[in-house]
Formats: sequence, structure tokens, C-alpha cells
Amino acid sequence: MTAIADGPPRAGAHRGRNISKLVIRLGAFVGFALIVIYFAFTARGFTTPYNLTNIVEQSTILGILAYGMTLVFAGTGTDVQRGGIDLSIAANAGLCAAVYAVLMRAGYGGYVAVPAALVTGMAVGALNGFAVVALRIMPLLATLAVMNIAEGLELTLTENTVVAVNSPLIDTLAFGRFLGISTLSWVFVIVSLALIWIAHYSRTGLRLYAVGGHAEAARAAGVRNGSYVYGAYIGAGLLAGLTSILIVARLSSSTPGTGQMLLPVLAAALLGTVFSRRLIPTIGGTLLAALFIGTLANGFQLLGISSYWVSGVQGALILVVVAATSFAKNS
Amino acid sequence: MTAPAIEMRDIDKHFGPVHALDKADLVVAPGTVHGLVGQNGAGKSTIIKVLAGIYRRTGGTVRVFGEQIEQITPAVIEAKGVHFIHQDRLLVPSATVAESVFLRNEPRVGPFLEHRTMRRRAQELLKTHFNLDLDPGTLVQDLSTAQQKIVQITRALANDARVLVLDEPTAALVKKEVDNLFEVLRRLRDDGLAIIFISHYMSEISEICDTVTVLRNGTDVGVVDPREVGIQRIVDMMTNRDTSEMYPPRDVTHGEVVLEMRDATAEPHFRNVSLTLREGEILGLTGLLGSGDKEVMNALFGQIPLDSGEILLRGKPLRMRSPVDAVGQGFAKIPEDRRAHGVATALSVRENISLASLLSMSKRGLVSRKDEARVVDDLIADLGIKTPGRDQLVKNLSGGNQQKVVVAKWLSCESEVYLMDEPTVAVDVGAKIEIFTLMNRLAAEGKSMIFLSSDLEEIVEMCDRTLVIYRGELIGEYAKGDIDADRLLAAASGAASDETPKERSTA
Repeated sequence: MTAIADGPPRAGAHRGRNISKLVIRLGAFVGFALIVIYFAFTARGFTTPYNLTNIVEQSTILGILAYGMTLVFAGTGTDVQRGGIDLSIAANAGLCAAVYAVLMRAGYGGYVAVPAALVTGMAVGALNGFAVVALRIMPLLATLAVMNIAEGLELTLTENTVVAVNSPLIDTLAFGRFLGISTLSWVFVIVSLALIWIAHYSRTGLRLYAVGGHAEAARAAGVRNGSYVYGAYIGAGLLAGLTSILIVARLSSSTPGTGQMLLPVLAAALLGTVFSRRLIPTIGGTLLAALFIGTLANGFQLLGISSYWVSGVQGALILVVVAATSFAKNS
Repeated sequence: MTAPAIEMRDIDKHFGPVHALDKADLVVAPGTVHGLVGQNGAGKSTIIKVLAGIYRRTGGTVRVFGEQIEQITPAVIEAKGVHFIHQDRLLVPSATVAESVFLRNEPRVGPFLEHRTMRRRAQELLKTHFNLDLDPGTLVQDLSTAQQKIVQITRALANDARVLVLDEPTAALVKKEVDNLFEVLRRLRDDGLAIIFISHYMSEISEICDTVTVLRNGTDVGVVDPREVGIQRIVDMMTNRDTSEMYPPRDVTHGEVVLEMRDATAEPHFRNVSLTLREGEILGLTGLLGSGDKEVMNALFGQIPLDSGEILLRGKPLRMRSPVDAVGQGFAKIPEDRRAHGVATALSVRENISLASLLSMSKRGLVSRKDEARVVDDLIADLGIKTPGRDQLVKNLSGGNQQKVVVAKWLSCESEVYLMDEPTVAVDVGAKIEIFTLMNRLAAEGKSMIFLSSDLEEIVEMCDRTLVIYRGELIGEYAKGDIDADRLLAAASGAASDETPKERSTA
């Protein structure tokens, strides 16, 4: 018999869409490369090994939080505009840092404080999941509310003060090196590999993306959608808990204002989509995007440009990325 | 004798007060293609959703290969080898072909997915079953409709399907693709699969099915061999003929041509459609779900742009870019989903009626409450809208009265051409009669109407002429008295095209 449909009947439209996708992806990579080249020529000390590892370290906290956002994007709507989101992730990290720091100050030690921080993160994630899955609240609103709850709890715990922390774990994370690479960077590498496995080389990941890509289709295939959405939010919470320890390590304390990380985290997760073949959130894409934003911040620092500009650039990136991807998908 | 592949007995399903399935039976033998037919609302999709575990049955038994299943869930029924190819191609657009085929049945080594095995086996399955060379790394969103269908069937085969349920599988396929699909189905049937085939297209039912279960009003009214009894008999079984005094008589002489559509094409919805409408005329427009009848009406209201052809009002070509243009030219549309598009249920009767005509009522930008009240009260009395007063909220009125508010809204701006999209959906019989009476009155006043309904009885009884759209093409025009509901259904289902050389458009 002859093959059914020798070619897509609307090949023209598909080709057009594929071309615009390609342009966007190329644009992203070329843009990244151009900025690196620009900084290499203009910013003194940019290309030194010390500075390059510094960029990775600076990107670690942003990157791991953005992974959490990526998981939520993957499980609740790979089309980021209509799908889910986790606005609480940065505030959650702040709350976890506060829990960790306050417990350490109270003398409980790392064996209690670290699990407590991770469990706190997961609990906040579970609350997001409950609000979105069970209560069917729009993710944007649900996680906004949870963000405020997390911020409120953080301020209650710390009374809006800096809580200093001293511990061997913190010292190792902050100053330790292994094979010439800092502990912080190792954490980034290990977390990245683990998440690449979960998201892209495990059954769970494939099904998670199916739930986010087309909930009805996943349900028709027998996937239990609700548990995957819960899982994405709890996973994001766990990553927020993990990040909180790194934040405390970098600052040697829990300080208010971690919630400010939300904008760069969102920018990294959204920008990550344009580094992927399918224009969907991926771990690899988010990794590149986090490094991209880390590079921008670092380059601006070296050039002596006010850090306030970085925030503006991140906001602009969100607009450009969302506009470009939705344009490519609709054309 | 071997047990039937599917044996559903005395299936009951209630949705609140609605009795969607009333002791319906569906029995399918292995190695056969079994058709499931019925009019819209007969219970086809309900019984399939019960089998799929999407709806929980209120009563009855389900056996799969002799084994009774109490609680059906999508996972349970799939584990029994029953697979569903849904009408809306339920695939993840951002997934690859290979991922779609193996979702929930993913090959792994240890904790790792075997992407390479997935791709290789998907390619093999596509090659052996469909002789299709398709890169398994292609994204679903880049596939054609037919290819997506194939991927869905491949997924079922990869999971060792023993029963395939295809819901309107040919709806978006062109003739050649349909032929190829049928060839595949026949081969799978010969391999011993049981196939349940749901289609509106009677010609396809008689071509592919070995047996057919006919549903009407939630009950199975017969199991027949389509080749023995023929299409006409099946259509007779599907339709229910008990016309009571629902349709008030009308005696109107038609005036000049008001509206004309010439060779209008709007891909992919319809092509080369021409129609004329005279003063005082009610023109019927019908077709199966997705045939393009609705789109023809939408094009007349400026909701769908034409690729070619033109629309003339009183001989003058119109440029319709949006419903705003249409309203400005004196078109009025009574939309199917009146809650979503027709009335603002949270506003009062007065506000709804005057919304569309505020401009004509206003003097120097201000609306005189007194003028407004007078116009609204006149219309309420005229149409017999049952409301305690003009300030009653529309949501508190009955369905029929809400529909009248929609009509009143357009009457208040003195529209000439009324486009009525399923105006009688979800209203009770009394309200239907009132709507029909109102239509007759509009006709007597020289207004013109296009009446779209999937209730063919209504079309036959109410319309002076009826146009039938089939797969985007105008395939028949019937004057009142020349056709009954059965023959109209046969025409809309493509059965009438048996008389002429058989031809299918490429959708």
C-alpha cells in the first residue's frame, strides 16, 4: 500500500514555523556569543579563569532556582503563557534560609537544620500543588498568594534581621574546593546532571512533559496528571530548600530580600526555552540561560555599570523571549 | 463460541435530570469492524466515554473478552487491550513521534529511558503496519492530521491493542488518506482485532463496517449488517418521526433578493458556495458537525474572511472584515451559545435590548431613559417576553425568553437579515414554538432569515428552501415539501451522493 499522507499538507506553514524557530534559536546562541565576545574585549579581566569560575558560581543559585521554575513549566504547560508558574519559588528559598539559619542559631546543628530547610521547601511546594490541583486556582494567583505566605513567615522567623550562621558545612560550601573547582560549582554540576536525568532521561520526565504539553492527551494515555503537577511544585520547593543552604553559605547569613530573585529566576527559565530545539523549557536550556544572565551581571559589574541596569535588562529579556516564542508558535 | 471482545449490556447514564443512555447494548465480536451510528445526542459519544472510563456508568455491565469490569478507569481499560483513537487527536504537540508512541510504556535500561530503542521500534512499527517512512524524531506538531492519526494507532498497536475504538477518524482526512486508513483497518481486523468505528459518514459506514449498532435517544434500536439493509434503512432507524403541531403555518410571498453569496471560498472551511436570500424568506442551512455549514454563516457575519467570492446586499458588494461591518449593514446574528455570545445574563432585559442600538437612540451622545424605556417595553410586549419587568436580570428568565431577548436586541436596531445559529438548542418545546412563531412574524414583515440547525425536522418544517453542506461544499438545494428529514440526513451524510458519481472533496 502507499504511505498515508506522503507529506504534511500544510508543509508551507510548518516550514515557516520551523524557520522562525530556527531563527530564534540561532539568535539566542549568536546573542550569547556576541555578548561574551563583547565583554571579552571591553571588560578587563573578563576572560581570566578566576572570573569565569566566578560567573559559574554566581549563576549557581540563580540556575538551581530556575531549574525549579523549569520543572513547574514542564509539568503545567510548556506553553509558558497559558500554563503554570511558580511565583513563590524565590520567597520559598528565603523562608527555607530563615528556617535553616534560625535553627542553627538555636543550636540544633546541621543534621536538623538542613533537613528542616528542605522539608520546609517541599511543604511550600505541596501547598502550591494543593492550591493549583485540588483547589483549581489559577497558578499565577495561587503561587502569588503562597509567595506572600512564605515572605510573611520568613519575616516572622527572622524579625526582618540578618541571622548569621557559622558551621563547617557552610564553610565547605563557601570556601571548599575539589579538583580545583569550588564546592558551589560542584553542587551546580551535580544538580544539573541529576535534573537532566530526571527531566529528559526518565519515565517521570517524559510523562511530566506530556502532562504539561497537553494535559488531555496525557490523561488519555493513562497518566495521572495531578500527581505530576504536585510533583513539579514539590520538586521546585525541594530545589528552593537546597538553594537556601547555598544562599546562606554565600552570605554567611540569612538576609531578607531573597524574594527579589524572582525576576532573574523567571527570566532564566523563560530565556531557557529559546535554547531548546522544541522551544520548550528544558534543563539544558535553563542552564545556558542562567549562565547568560550570570555573564551579563558579571560583565556589567566589570564595566562598572550600575547593577540596577541588570534588573531592567532581565525584564526586557522576559518580554523579548515571550514575544518571540509565541510569535514563532503562532506563525 | 468465543466471548465477544466488548460486551456492554443495559448501560444507563444520567447527567442530572438528563437520561443520556437508557439500557443501551453494544456487543462487538473480535475480528470485525463494528459501526456505531446515531444522530447528535443519541448517545454515541456517551457510551464510548463510559467504555473509556471517562464517564462512570449509572447502571449496566461491561465485559471485555468475557471478563467483567466493575470500575472502569482509563488505565484499567487500556490494560485490557482496549485503545481509543480520539476524534481530537490527543497527542502532545511538543513530543516526538517516538515519545508519543511509547508514552506510559517507555523502554528503559535501569533508571534511564532508552531514547534510541524508542526511536528504532517506533520506526519499525510505522514501517510494518503502515509502510510509512517517518522520522521518529519529528515533533507531533509538525505532522499532518493523517500522520497524527497514524501515530495514535501505532501507539495502540505498540501496546498490544486487541480492541480499537475510532471516534470520527476520517473527519479531517482527504479521500486518499481515508482509503489508506480503511486498508489498514481491514488488515488489523483480519489479524483478529475488534474495531469500533464511529462516523457520521454513512457511505463510510457501509464501506468499512461488518455490523452496525444504531443508537437513538440513548437506546440501541437495532444491530444490522449495513451491506444487507442499506444506508436508507439505517438512516430511518436513526431518525425519529413524530412531528406534532410544533410548526405554526406561514403564508408569505417573497420579495426581492436581499442577500447574495457568490462563489465564496474560505479554506479550509468551505469552497464555491453560492446562495441567494429573498425578502420574507427563511433559508435553511445544514450539514454534519464540521461540514462547514456554520462557517458559511460566520462568513456572512464577517467572522471568517473569504479567500475569494463575494457577498452582495441588495446587489451591492459588501466588504465584511468583522462583525462590526455586518451589524452596520443590517445583519443580526443569534449565536448558538447565547450565554457566551448572545446576551449578557448579568444585565437586565432593558440593558441587553438597548445595548446594540444605543447609538440610534442617543441624542448628542446621551441616551434618553424615556425613549429607551418606550422602545424596550414595546419589544417586550411585541415578542411576548415573559418577564416581571424591563429591569429583570436576564439570567432569571427561561431559555426561550432569553433567546427572545437576543432577537429583541437585534429588532431594536432594525436589522434586515437574521442569521440564526441553532436558536432552539436547549430550550423547551413551548419556547421552540414561540421562537418559530417569532420567525414567521419576522418573515411576514419582510425580514430575511438564514436558519441553521442540526435538528433536521425543524429545518424541513420551517424553511422555504434548504441548502446542504457536505465537506465544505454545497451539495444540494431542496425546496420545502421536496424533502423529508430522513432524506435530508442522508444527503448531509453523503449518502445521496451515491446517485451521482461518488466524489469526496479534499478537506
